[in-house]
Amino acid sequence: MSIEKMEYLSIVGLMDDLDETLKKCVESGCFHINEISDEQDSMVRVDGENPYKPLLKRIVSMNMGADFEFKELPAEQITHLTPDDIEQDVSLLESKLRVLSDEIENLSGAISERKRAAIQLSHLKGMKNDLQKLFTCTHIEPRFGRMPVESFQKLSYYEDKPFIFIPYDDDGNYKWGIYFAPLENIREVNNIFKSLYFEKIWLPDFITDTPEEECEKLKNHIDTLEKRLDEKQSEYNILVAENKQVINSSFCRIKYLYDLYELRRYALCYKDKFYLSGYVPKKQYNEFLNLAEAVPSVSIVSKPAENDSQTKVPVKLKTNRFAKPFSMFVEMYGLPSYGGFNPTNLVAWTYTLMFGIMFGDLGQGLLISLIGFIVYKKSGNLLGAILQRVGISSAVFGLVYGSVFGFEHLLDPLYHAIGLKHKPIEIMDSTMTILLGAICIGVAIILISITINIFISFRQRNYTEAIFGNNGISGLVLFGSLLAGVAVMMTGGESLFTMPYVICLIIIPLLLMFFREPLGAVLSGKKYRPEGGIGDFIASNFFEVFEFILGYATNTLSFVRIGGFIFSHAGMMSVVMLLSESVSAGVSPVVIVIGNLFVMGMEGLIVGIQVLRLEFYEVFSRFYDGDGVAFEPVRINYQPDID
Amino acid sequence: MNSSKNATVAKIRAVYGKRLREKDYNELFTKKKVTDAAEFLKRNTHFSSVLSGVDTTTIHRGHLESILNKAYFDEYERLCRFQQLSEQPFFNFLLVRSEIRELLKAILYLNNERSDAYIQSMHAFMIEKARFDMIELAKAEDFNGLLKVIRNTPYYYVLRSIRTDKDGNIPYTQCEILLRTFYLEWMLETIRIHFDKKTTDVLSEQINVQADIINIINGYRMKKYFNGDAQSLKEHSLPFHGRLSKEKQDEVFEADSPADYIRRLSKTVYGRLMENLDENMEGDQFEKELEKLRCSIAKRALQFSENAAVSLYSYMYLAEVEIKNIITVIESIRYGKNIQYMKNLVVQT
Repeated sequence: MSIEKMEYLSIVGLMDDLDETLKKCVESGCFHINEISDEQDSMVRVDGENPYKPLLKRIVSMNMGADFEFKELPAEQITHLTPDDIEQDVSLLESKLRVLSDEIENLSGAISERKRAAIQLSHLKGMKNDLQKLFTCTHIEPRFGRMPVESFQKLSYYEDKPFIFIPYDDDGNYKWGIYFAPLENIREVNNIFKSLYFEKIWLPDFITDTPEEECEKLKNHIDTLEKRLDEKQSEYNILVAENKQVINSSFCRIKYLYDLYELRRYALCYKDKFYLSGYVPKKQYNEFLNLAEAVPSVSIVSKPAENDSQTKVPVKLKTNRFAKPFSMFVEMYGLPSYGGFNPTNLVAWTYTLMFGIMFGDLGQGLLISLIGFIVYKKSGNLLGAILQRVGISSAVFGLVYGSVFGFEHLLDPLYHAIGLKHKPIEIMDSTMTILLGAICIGVAIILISITINIFISFRQRNYTEAIFGNNGISGLVLFGSLLAGVAVMMTGGESLFTMPYVICLIIIPLLLMFFREPLGAVLSGKKYRPEGGIGDFIASNFFEVFEFILGYATNTLSFVRIGGFIFSHAGMMSVVMLLSESVSAGVSPVVIVIGNLFVMGMEGLIVGIQVLRLEFYEVFSRFYDGDGVAFEPVRINYQPDID
Repeated sequence: MNSSKNATVAKIRAVYGKRLREKDYNELFTKKKVTDAAEFLKRNTHFSSVLSGVDTTTIHRGHLESILNKAYFDEYERLCRFQQLSEQPFFNFLLVRSEIRELLKAILYLNNERSDAYIQSMHAFMIEKARFDMIELAKAEDFNGLLKVIRNTPYYYVLRSIRTDKDGNIPYTQCEILLRTFYLEWMLETIRIHFDKKTTDVLSEQINVQADIINIINGYRMKKYFNGDAQSLKEHSLPFHGRLSKEKQDEVFEADSPADYIRRLSKTVYGRLMENLDENMEGDQFEKELEKLRCSIAKRALQFSENAAVSLYSYMYLAEVEIKNIITVIESIRYGKNIQYMKNLVVQT
């Protein structure tokens, strides 16, 4: 069912070969390792502190600049590096960087201290006295600083205290100022100001002249310090640049060893032997065996994955080239279980078809496809690949609707050339046809989904769901016969709703659905007893069956949106065209271009979301659980994450 | 309240949307210094604008707390100004509550003869907002001095009957009950006069629930820390009843022990609404559970109400809890408490 077949492997070997075995597992790129939940019998989990952790932490925490990123290197470039050599290199570089960063830190500290002092002094400009005179006062003590504006309001409370506060600036958050207090009261006054969150600002003791002169001196001093800081910073940058490659290789090597060591926790150990288990895709099984043969003590026992009942078999979706990008949507919902149904192909075809129908425009479709192509080529984003496909579909339906960037008659010569009088579908004249067509598409998709569910349920031996469920045979018969009856009535034929028809194809399926639980129990040979009594059984099943019937109607009508969006698209483009006609000839092309881009952006997005909604709600909900586990081969993660 | 105030409701919801989430608190818990916490708040939360001009590397814990408290009040004023809500008396509710809080704080410090401590803990932003002179309040040396300061406010009439004992001590609990009763009565009356029936019902419900929760907490504290009997618990409770009728409340108050108190409470409507009620739980945890309940009521009101008064009242409560949370975390960081300790005290809003 389009899911890769897996082999379950049990690997046993000597403890001395555990690391080598794990290495081979990683190298294979196809080994999904099993988490061992509990220690079994006398086997114990291989545990222990990862010896590479401290060194890895040191490498990761080195400041190699904001633009530095660790990048994976090919194995042959790093295997010759030993942890001891790396340790030496790292220590040497650390000590060099530490000396430089200490100097940078000291210089930065000195600069910011002087800058704060300069700010303080700039607030004092205009004071004609030498600051030295203030500092040499013998009976009073001055304190420079700032306090929050709110605290300043509290000062009036202390009006009887022996101090004077002179504010000389207000930056909205702080009042900058100086307070004076007699020497004998300075401690008490300091405490008051401390309680008001006054932040004292240091003024260098070398300040002796007027504020203006000192400001100038400080400015020159700051310039000198900044030059020295720049020199040290460039020395630091050069050192970092010279060692970037070394650090990256060291990181890759140590991360490799670290992650490999971390994998040991998946192994169990008994005496001098280890035990590992996991999954390998069947088609890569021999390849894996060849690789593992290089470890002499290792023996591998395999069996088909479905025979292992202890763990959930991981799932790798098998898709064709066309459907591959749509696996993104399937994974978004959740993977199918192993042995389940891979709906990627179904999604790929129905999504492409519905998008094309809802967003039919030859020009816009081709443009979307081109954009998708560029996006996919540049970034590898799967959404780009999806756009490529749905764009083509949109272009094909654009040919049917005769629409090119909103021009509804541009393709008329083409139709005439192939012998048609006009475009195949004139949207605005075919309202009922389009809406009924949309419903027909919906009916077809729902019937396909129910059929798939019947098939899956039989495979899983879930006979209750397969025969009596609303998405089982009973549901299929009920839904199909109701639709057939309504369709015949609408086409003017003789009513199908005769007594035998109603009894056999409507009432009996309804009853089967109503009694699905007891009937399912009978089929599987179990006894059935309703949990909440007969009354509860009747009430809950009545409402459930009622909901099923309601669900068939609403789910079918939900597909009317396909038709709705065809009109919406045509309507929006006709507005763009009307607008372009209402402006001057020069501006008209601009309106057409902007209008097209707007419609493509907005409606394209909405249609994309609506189709996805139909897939998830109307299709997936009928047969898909999405409770599978993804196949994730063990690999080294070259990201600086340490658990 | 007409529909034109819908803009305020929408604005309040938008402001509420910027609240601190669980991941923000988790990040805050990991900070080792108050300055780191301040920097986090400045860089990553809706407090960035109020902290933008502040140097977080040197900020004092008390200063940070005062900024947050001021931000809370400023937000309230901004929301009231948005559609001139403050023209209606009800929208002064936070001002009245803040004034009462300052008065009670002043009384507490007066009893301890520590007026200098009061000026330090006073919310400085209230100096300009309060309808009495806060500096003079801080300078008041005794109860008569305090009454003189509030002479032209309604609080004077509430407190004038209070008599100090022979040592000049003011009966704090009595003042607290009288002022809180005044506040709740004032609100209920204002709501009744100025709002339609639906709004009155919703707001009255919230206010009465608030009174219930205050009574439950006070009763529990008295039982746990002072081994108070049923009579003293009743005397110290507020004369309002929401979902907890007087009879039910009396039944709870008659408990023999704190565990029995919780056991009896668990049989009331509040007990059924509280998520994790356990008779052996710690006092902090018990109060947190009640706070959570009150928050969930406020959140529901905020989500479903289309009324500006209900939305604002509910939002201000949630915002207050958020400020309390942050202050708790900051204090915990200051005193080196572990993450679990902080987690236990924080109530998600």
